[in-house]
Amino acid sequence: MSFKRSGQVFLLTLCLFLTSLPISARAPSVTTPKPSSFEQPADEKFEFGKVDQDLLSEIKLLDERFEKEGVVFHETNLDAYLNRVGTAVVADKKLENVEWKFRALRDPVPNAFALPNGSIYINTGLLALLDDENQLAAVIAHEITHVSERHTYLRNRSLRKMMLALNIINTIGNWNPIGGPAGLAISLIASVSPFMLAISVLGYSREQEKEADLEGLKAAAAAGFVADGMPNSFKAMQRDVEGEQLNSFYSDHPKLQERVNYTSSSISADARKLTEEEAKTAKGDYLAVMELVDRHDVELAINEGRFRSAVFVSQKLVSLHPDSSENVFYLAESYRTLGPRNAELTDQQRTSGAKKKAAKTRSKRTLEEQDAELLKTPAGQEAWKTNSEKSETLFLRALELNRFNASAHRGLGMLYERLNRKQDAAGEYAKYLELAPNAIDTERVRRRLAVLRESMN
Amino acid sequence: MKLCVRFGFFILCCAFVHYGVARVEAQYLHPKIVEKKVTIHSATILPAKVEIVKESAKGSEMMVAESANISSSVMEAVGSALQQKKISVVANQFEPASMDDSRKYQLADIQTRYDALLPKLVDKSKDVKKARFTLGDEVMLLNVHKDADVLVFIRGQGRMFTKGKTAFSIINIFDLDFPFATITVGIVDARSGEVLAFTKPMSASKVLKDKKALNKMIEKSLKKLPATPIP
Repeated sequence: MSFKRSGQVFLLTLCLFLTSLPISARAPSVTTPKPSSFEQPADEKFEFGKVDQDLLSEIKLLDERFEKEGVVFHETNLDAYLNRVGTAVVADKKLENVEWKFRALRDPVPNAFALPNGSIYINTGLLALLDDENQLAAVIAHEITHVSERHTYLRNRSLRKMMLALNIINTIGNWNPIGGPAGLAISLIASVSPFMLAISVLGYSREQEKEADLEGLKAAAAAGFVADGMPNSFKAMQRDVEGEQLNSFYSDHPKLQERVNYTSSSISADARKLTEEEAKTAKGDYLAVMELVDRHDVELAINEGRFRSAVFVSQKLVSLHPDSSENVFYLAESYRTLGPRNAELTDQQRTSGAKKKAAKTRSKRTLEEQDAELLKTPAGQEAWKTNSEKSETLFLRALELNRFNASAHRGLGMLYERLNRKQDAAGEYAKYLELAPNAIDTERVRRRLAVLRESMN
Repeated sequence: MKLCVRFGFFILCCAFVHYGVARVEAQYLHPKIVEKKVTIHSATILPAKVEIVKESAKGSEMMVAESANISSSVMEAVGSALQQKKISVVANQFEPASMDDSRKYQLADIQTRYDALLPKLVDKSKDVKKARFTLGDEVMLLNVHKDADVLVFIRGQGRMFTKGKTAFSIINIFDLDFPFATITVGIVDARSGEVLAFTKPMSASKVLKDKKALNKMIEKSLKKLPATPIP
């Protein structure tokens, strides 16, 4: 074999070897049956290396930053509740470099995540979307599995190997000195390897997600929660109130329906199930615990332009306490800010094409521009008419329930201002300032009132 | 790729590196500022969020502590650039230790509003000149010092290369993969929430280590902002 020929073979072999690395990294998680994390402590098979320690110290800093930046929601009862459910699922599991903490994150997007140091965060958006404690326990159990199976460290290690391989392949591809079929093959491998990397990384992650679902289901059931909580939590997420769930190839989670199917089928037929009455009670109890969180989530959802979610959650609040002036106010505020949008997505708006179009519009247009565009359409005008009427009725109802509800006066003022009923708006703002002279937004309302009065003169 | 094309790219890259790595000091001003309908006397700088990552041959790593330090440096640099324009900077009212939960939440919510607007600001920065962007009068919920005319939002990203990554980037120079730092500064009316000025300087990541270079970059990026006339 000539020197040139042997060089070609070596380079080709090296390329093939490096390209196959991500696949082999993924393979064990597919083929090798893993013992349940709840039967065998994760520490028995995990040793911390320098890379893991470095990641851990960064994660700890990140955790502290969440607290400093005001993204963690603190409320004594909620903190105690999350801790109770989380601790029940964890049982007496002790892991190296893990300190279990269960906290709510101020984010209206339905999501939860775990940091490898044992901090589990559940977004207020997800807490508001779930229906009962069993579903919450399932979500927490899923995240606990990620921590106890050391998924973050394993994925980090795997990614580092893959990135190094990719960099080497890229270099060989860029400076490929070989011509002919072998050179062509090297170039081809170099150009397709990023795609193969993406597939293998996503595949690896999807396997971990599936593992977290199934192990989490077992852990929640072992802690005395109803196993159905896991598939039911996915069903709750399937509501897709904002129409954001797109079937993307680049998704690291399996599809929700797929998750419902495999978790449901893994529940044994004799597993405990809630009766209709029990389910109703569980739902009511959960809603009662979440009342303050839900109110906070409505505010966050409105702040982030997730108006349909705000309506959805405040409807839950009103269903819990229909005579609570505060809860009725939140529903009124949600309808006011919903503007020219329909409260629930239509079937047409739920199609993949419509969701993609809506996502594009959200990325290009500001909320004010979206409102203005919708108001030019008959459907938008109709929706605004309906929503403003509902909102006014609800604000008035909130005031009927509690005439000192200052926020309802402010909301009514803003509604009237938008409806160009300047005199009425000014009156409501004045009442607000009278009832809440030291509120956080006094200056804001005072300024609005001044501008209104100036425009009326 | 043909050798001459590669060579052309190489020359371009050298020029890019040589001239301070293409400092792009794009600056966009609201018509109210240009027409001098609004004069900025004082500003409140909100906590900056500059995220830097360490890139090695094995991928990216977080640098949380370094990001926090650099965020402080950038805040200082923006503060001193504003003071050079005779705009007084109201003392930092957002020290985490001095804020209760409710104040922290208010700040986080306003920062979130800005973050939601930022991609549009970056994409269509020229529209600042058309008075297109606003955060709404919700900014007043922050209740900053009553003398503050504007709120300053600072965001940034940076990539620091390890020796290994530097070697790969030199070998694969035609991939145009370089360490860089981009910083955006948004100046927002403290009452109406209108975006009055927006700049997005970009430079080599060395500015993140070199305070002098950082100050210079920020100063240049705010060059067009009119200085406040002394009464």
